[in-house]
Amino acid sequence: MTTDLQRNWYPIASSTDLPKRHVYQAQLLGREFAVWRADDGYVNVWENRCLHRGVRLSIGINDGRELKCQYHGWRYANRTAGCTYIPAHPADAPARTICNNTYPAQEAYGLVWAGEEATGDVPALDGFDDLTALRPIPLIAPMNMVAEALLEYKWDESCKGARNDEGSVTVTASDGTAVRVFVQPLDSNHSVMRGIYNRAVSEDDRVALLKRHSWLMQELRDRIEAQAATQDAPEPYHPVIAKVSEDLVDIPAISEDGRTADLRVTVTRKEMTAESIVSLRMEPIKGTLPTFQPGAHIDVHLQNGLVRQYSLTNGPGETDHFTIGVKREPDSRGGSVSIHDNLQQGDNLAISAPRNNFPLRRDSVHTIFVAGGIGVTPLIAMARALNAQGLSFEFHYFVQSDDHVAFKREIGEFEGALSIHTGLSPDATGAKLAEILSSPDNSRHVYICGPGPMLEATREIASEKGWSDDAVHFEYFKNTTELDDSSSFDIDLARSAMTLNVPAGKSILDVLRENGINMSSSCEQGACGTCRCGVIEGEVAHQDVYLSDTEKAEGKSIMTCVSRANSDRLILDI
Amino acid sequence: MLKLYDYELSGNCYKLRLMMSFLGLEHTTEAVDFYPGNQHKSEAFRQINPLGQLPVIDDDGLVLRDAQAILVYLASKYDTSGKWYPCDDPAMLGQISQWLAFADGITATASAARLHDALFYTHIDVDAARSGAHRLFRILDEHLFFAEEIGQTWICPGDHPTIADIACFPYIMLAEEGGVSRMDYPAIRRWCDRFKRIPGFKVMSGVFPAGPAADQSAA
Repeated sequence: MTTDLQRNWYPIASSTDLPKRHVYQAQLLGREFAVWRADDGYVNVWENRCLHRGVRLSIGINDGRELKCQYHGWRYANRTAGCTYIPAHPADAPARTICNNTYPAQEAYGLVWAGEEATGDVPALDGFDDLTALRPIPLIAPMNMVAEALLEYKWDESCKGARNDEGSVTVTASDGTAVRVFVQPLDSNHSVMRGIYNRAVSEDDRVALLKRHSWLMQELRDRIEAQAATQDAPEPYHPVIAKVSEDLVDIPAISEDGRTADLRVTVTRKEMTAESIVSLRMEPIKGTLPTFQPGAHIDVHLQNGLVRQYSLTNGPGETDHFTIGVKREPDSRGGSVSIHDNLQQGDNLAISAPRNNFPLRRDSVHTIFVAGGIGVTPLIAMARALNAQGLSFEFHYFVQSDDHVAFKREIGEFEGALSIHTGLSPDATGAKLAEILSSPDNSRHVYICGPGPMLEATREIASEKGWSDDAVHFEYFKNTTELDDSSSFDIDLARSAMTLNVPAGKSILDVLRENGINMSSSCEQGACGTCRCGVIEGEVAHQDVYLSDTEKAEGKSIMTCVSRANSDRLILDI
Repeated sequence: MLKLYDYELSGNCYKLRLMMSFLGLEHTTEAVDFYPGNQHKSEAFRQINPLGQLPVIDDDGLVLRDAQAILVYLASKYDTSGKWYPCDDPAMLGQISQWLAFADGITATASAARLHDALFYTHIDVDAARSGAHRLFRILDEHLFFAEEIGQTWICPGDHPTIADIACFPYIMLAEEGGVSRMDYPAIRRWCDRFKRIPGFKVMSGVFPAGPAADQSAA
């Protein structure tokens, strides 16, 4: 049940209590908060517990972008509180549903305000345009007793106290100086007096003013505590820690439409970042964007009805916007041309939540990124994540010319780890790749994204040099395989207890959808991995570029949008 | 060679491990089984320290007990920078000594509550110990708040931490193991972050590291 108390805004800290790279511990009505300011200035007020083992996040590490739990290293993103990385599962992207509780927060009048269920703005305080926040004084006493006693707060004989509507007390002296004191209820018998003084004061006078009020309020504290000690302590508050909702615990229902576009964003910046590459900055029309992990992509629903996938280039903690890079494709089917020619700054777009089929391991001793052309985008996000954590990597970027180097500011952060290889012929590219991949090692991982021929070459060279498939990760942005859909075969759906026929000319995905079985999909050309499905029995005719050769040989997965059966029948784990 | 009689879970021994790490002092360690072995009360150990307490050092035959006394000795003898314990600055020495005594008060309260809760010292009046710790933490929090106001990072003036910081740190950091929350002391909590960022800082069981500070260009 929501009470009036829960709907109120209360100051829970002074602004100066939140220096960068610090985690402040707060409490309101019995509920603990971990409070931290990200390097971009955003103030996060979160439930003070890690979703994993319940350890307090107030002992965690604020790295400026994310908060890391001390216990098993789970990382949570600025703003969204979504989990971005679980070290014990380095090869998997954490589920989007792993997200801590966040609470409304605002910063005003030199104070940080929060409320369990607060809405709107913090109360407007007339006469405090200039102010000095006083030293807060915690005390063991109930809120109402403190507020009552504050009416008698005095720094000279002319002081008069009055209660304000929202419960605070304003004490005014005859010379017009005033102190307004808010009482923060940590618990039923534990409060903090947070005062603001209605003048800005010079550096010289500041310490004297703060000391005087610190002293007077501590004197008052001692009197109130003595009084409180004579009474029975009230029953402590019992905050309800919200359980994770049922729909997050269950296996998520397959969405009604494989391609949902739940988010509405505004294109707030459109600029050329390189020859024929445009970068788009997208901000939510309202609310916040969901958590992303490095390597993730989104579906962008274009104004002409096409749906295209683009990787996010954001660094960790950049949660107030998404940035993508779009290359104008000479043989565009209408996607990239529409973005380049028709999309305007200020336009609204529908996009999907980020999806990560290209997760980044952070447990390798060294990581090698190999980017070709526009394939650089997911790798930028990955390398920025490693860079922020101080992990070792090298970043190779193959481009036609200097003019084709995109996102110069972002990759500039990589400093010595960055190598740009300009204008190499296919042979020279192969030689360079052979050099980059010359020493395979189980403790190192390679991430490749670029045009098909370059990916093929890199995978071949890596294999020749002795790299294991497990250590080489790649993302195609399109499938150039000539698709053969001439076969006809049956599919048995083990979990749905159905047998369906897939005729020539239709994909498994098409047949599933026609029969009311919804399956997530994204690129629908065998490149992105979204419509992956388990295979229990039968021989798969793989036509995708998502699965590795090892995975294809194992035959335990299929990309339902393009791949088919070599046998008469496939038993699928649906 | 310098030898430390050490117990891993002792905050007082941790003070010396910190000092030796900050100074890069080579030393050997002899583990004393404080709990459950009660070895610090054994006859053999009482011949080294008749008080039957840890820590003790033996520096080429000079045997010293008491964490604060040993901090004074190590800093005076081995700190070539002269910053941890500025022997030629009477005002600093006075202030450092004042806070060393205060650190003893923290041991008598916050550490006592921890012994009660975590190491089965059931005869201790834990409520008195906790309220005593809060009384001291209120004073230190106010001191550190006003230190920050005048740009002072550490417990004593100057741009470098002193042994007063080392003496106060461990049992403040371990206080929660005795049921003494630091939530009411934001200035102490910020000082703890700064302390953990001193080059050479080491953790112990129950004390976690800090992340890197924001670099100035990003600030």
